[in-house]
Order: sequence, then structure tokens, then C-alpha cells
Amino acid sequence: MGAAPEHAIEVTNVSKTFRLPHERRDSLKEHFLHPFTRTVYERQVALTGVSFAVRRHEFFGVIGPNGSGKSTLLKILAGIYRQDSGSVDVRGRLSPFIELGVGFNTELTARDNVRINATLLGLSKRQLDERFDAIVAFSELERFIDRKLKNFSSGMLLRLAYSIAIQAEFDILLLDEVLAVGDQSFQEKCFATFDSMRAAGKTIVIVTHDLAAVTRFCDRVLLLRDGSVEAVGEVRATVARYRAKHGDTDEIAVAARA
Amino acid sequence: METVAPDAGTRPAKGHALRHRVRTLHVMAAAEYKLKYSGSALGYVWSALKPLALFTMMYLVFGRVFKLGTISPYYAVGLLIGIVLFTFFADATLGGTYSLVSRESLLRKLVFPRTVIPTAATLTAAITFAVNTAVVALFIAWKGIVPRLDWLLIPLLLLELYVFVLGLSLILSALFVRFRDIAQVWELALQLIFYATPVIYPLSFLPPWAQSIEFVNPLTQVLQDIRALVFYDDPANVITATDALGPYGRLIPIAIVFATVAIGLLVFKHDEPWFAERV
Repeated sequence: MGAAPEHAIEVTNVSKTFRLPHERRDSLKEHFLHPFTRTVYERQVALTGVSFAVRRHEFFGVIGPNGSGKSTLLKILAGIYRQDSGSVDVRGRLSPFIELGVGFNTELTARDNVRINATLLGLSKRQLDERFDAIVAFSELERFIDRKLKNFSSGMLLRLAYSIAIQAEFDILLLDEVLAVGDQSFQEKCFATFDSMRAAGKTIVIVTHDLAAVTRFCDRVLLLRDGSVEAVGEVRATVARYRAKHGDTDEIAVAARA
Repeated sequence: METVAPDAGTRPAKGHALRHRVRTLHVMAAAEYKLKYSGSALGYVWSALKPLALFTMMYLVFGRVFKLGTISPYYAVGLLIGIVLFTFFADATLGGTYSLVSRESLLRKLVFPRTVIPTAATLTAAITFAVNTAVVALFIAWKGIVPRLDWLLIPLLLLELYVFVLGLSLILSALFVRFRDIAQVWELALQLIFYATPVIYPLSFLPPWAQSIEFVNPLTQVLQDIRALVFYDDPANVITATDALGPYGRLIPIAIVFATVAIGLLVFKHDEPWFAERV
């Protein structure tokens, strides 16, 4: 049995447990007396029996309280973590990144960082040469392109990172917590590109706490709780269920941080 | 149901994947090299200054005070070659050791071939090495040594050393993710290897059994072969692997290079799926 053709991603019964090293050495002496004692590990269950499918050309949201396994799930979809059991079936090219600005180095100029980041995101040299101006123009950072990133504000960093990310070649975009940051006008610009990506037939999977954005953009939503699927489906009902059960505490916490 | 490797979809063609890997390597190594000297006034000059300073001190102490300089007219150039090769060996393997752990955020947020990271670290050291090679070339010219056709073997020897360093970096970087003691162990090992390699003293000072032991290390074999090629009119002062280990003596260190890379790839590939959650 393969994935149904209308599915971009099919996740079947995926489980993941982390082994976290537990520091149990009480003294320096003990450290030297037993340098090769095996560290004790604590098992932390991150996902249990998660199954769902993302349809092609869908804008799919993943929500849930902190520690519910959202990011772990996204990393498994991307192939960054390997699941202990279950299967992940992907049809189409995945975006290779799950966060914006991966590998940005604050000691280098924006120009250097665009080159490095775009390369990490899979652009060839020719593609980069062709699209460099478009990247800079979209970010509206022309004047700062030869400035080191350490002198950029977090909003400028996000604009640069997003401008590069949308130039990457992918059929399926996986993004972790991108909607919660950035200023209002740039968020609107991002949302506009989401629409054009969708029009171009791309599939987007997004992990977020921003329930307003989820309601506005997502076609369907997956609600995770303690590593299991609590609900998956229609946006309003699922978001309402999340709000009812968990309150808005997480959303408020994120808003306070941003 | 068949499990499709999650990253299978991101690589449309094999040729494209290889080209992209090479480009990623190039961009990462160049950026690292740039970063190493960003903000410093002398910048790239430091690449050459460090081994030169070390060379000057060692030449004064061992060449002059201990009079090792009197045994061969080429002691000084031979010492410089030794220091430059060892500096590359140490920089590359130590940089390789830390590479995965220091690139933690890349590992956790990006899908790409993990071998690129330790390889980029060794390439950064190779760029420094290239700068140093220019300095060595100046010394050789100043000594009035005329290049010969068989010097074309030198790049091959350097390639052998690079492959050895790459294999060690694969092993060390993967082990360092699991055991953080590895960095301490390797730093100590490097100090010991420095004295177990004929950088400052001539091999002829050692008894034959000790010479044989030193030639098990490919670094010694490469260093002595390069010295023998460069100082061709003074062959008596250069002992090579064939002198110490017999006519096929070179095969032992070369076999060790291949074994190191094979073990490196095995260890690295074995641990690769778990780097992201362990770093």
C-alpha cells in the first residue's frame, strides 16, 4: 500500500521516544573515579501512535500546547529526527529547512549570509545569481546588504530569512513557528506569498501558536496533546476545541515573548 | 507500507546532489575561514604567522641551542615543512572534532548530508595550509633548491594526508557527539603525536624499532617522503618508510589511511540519524 495519490504526506502510527542523559554524578571525585560509567538515561515519550495525512495543495496547521510534540513531529516529517516506529510517506520535494535563517552568521554581512543560506537551502550558483536581486528587493534591505547581521534588528533578520526561504525549490514547505514574529506589514507580505504558493500548488505544513493565523489560512488543522492526535480536521472546530481545553495561555505566552 | 526516506524527495538527481554537496562544502568552508579572521587587523596573515613564529622558536631552541641544525644544511626548511604539515593535521582534526557539536543549530533545523560538516572543517584547515605552503615554497626557493619533475608526487602525498585527516575527523566528530571527553583525549593525543613524529628531530637519532613504530603513522610517512623529494641532493639525511619497514613499507601507512576512512564512514553513517537529537 502506498500513499493515496491525493496525499502529499502520509504519517502512519509514528512514535518517538527521546533518551535524555541524566546527570547523576554527585562529585568531581566520582567523576574521576568512574569516568566510563554509563550515563543514566531518562526516557521521554514525545509522540505515540500519530497518524494523519496532509492532502496535496493544502495549507495544514499543527497546533497544541507546549511540549505536545509539534516540533518533534515536524522534525520527523523533515527527516531531521528518525521515528522509533511507524512510517512517514512523502510525495514531492520537501523544503530542507524547518526554521528561517538557518546557518545565519551574525559576524558576516547580509550579502554573505544570503549566499550561504540560499546554498544550504538548495539553490545552485546560477539560481542564486539570478534570484539574488529578487531576494534583496523582497526583503527591502537594499541599503543594508553589506552590513554585518549583528547590526540587524530581529525584524530585519526575519525579513531577510523569509525572502531567501521563498526562493528555495520545494513542493512541500515545512515551517516551525514563523507567524509569531515580524512586524505587521511584513506579516501581511508573508501572507500574500502564502496565497501565491498555494496558487502554485504547493503544500504547506506549519507549526504555530498563532491561532488567528491558523484560522485565517489553514485548510485543516492537527491538534496534538501529550504526543497523541487529539483531533484532526476542520479548522474552526479544532481550534475551538483547543481553546476550550487549553485556554489561551500558550497564545498569550507567545504574544508576550514576541 | 513502504517507508520512503524523508529526504529522498529533496534530491531530484544524483549529479545535481553531488554538485550541490560540493557547493555547500565550498560555501561553508570559505565562510568558516572568513569568520576565523573577521575583525582581526592582520586577518589572513595570521594563517602564515602562527607556524612561522612556532618555527622560529623551535629553530632557535633545537636547531641552534641543541645544534640539530649542524647535521643537515636543510634542517631549517625540513623543520618548517614538518611544522606546517603537523599544524594542518592538528587544526583539521581538532576542527573536525568540534564541527558537529558547534553546528548544532544546522543539525536540528536543516536536512542535508551530515558528512558535509566535518569535511568543511577539514577544508577550512586546508585553506590555511595552502597559505602556509606558499611560505614554505619561498623558503625552498631561497635555499636555491631547483624543482624536479618528481615533485609532482607531492600533491599525491598531500592528498593521502588529507584523506587520513578526513577519516579521523569523521570518527572524532561522531564520537564527540556521544562522549564529550573526546576533545580532551584528542588534544592530548595531538601533543603526543607531535613528539612521536620526526618534526624537530631527525629520525636517524632513533633506534630502528622506534623508527618502524613512527612509520605506522601516515603523517610520518608523508612528511618523510616530502622531505626526501625536496632534499633530493641530501638523501642520506632522510629516512623514508621503505628504509624502516622494507621495500613495501609504504603500504602499511597507506593501508592505515584507507582503514581510517572506512572506519570513519562506518562510524559516521551508523550514528548519523541520531546526531540531531544527541548534540
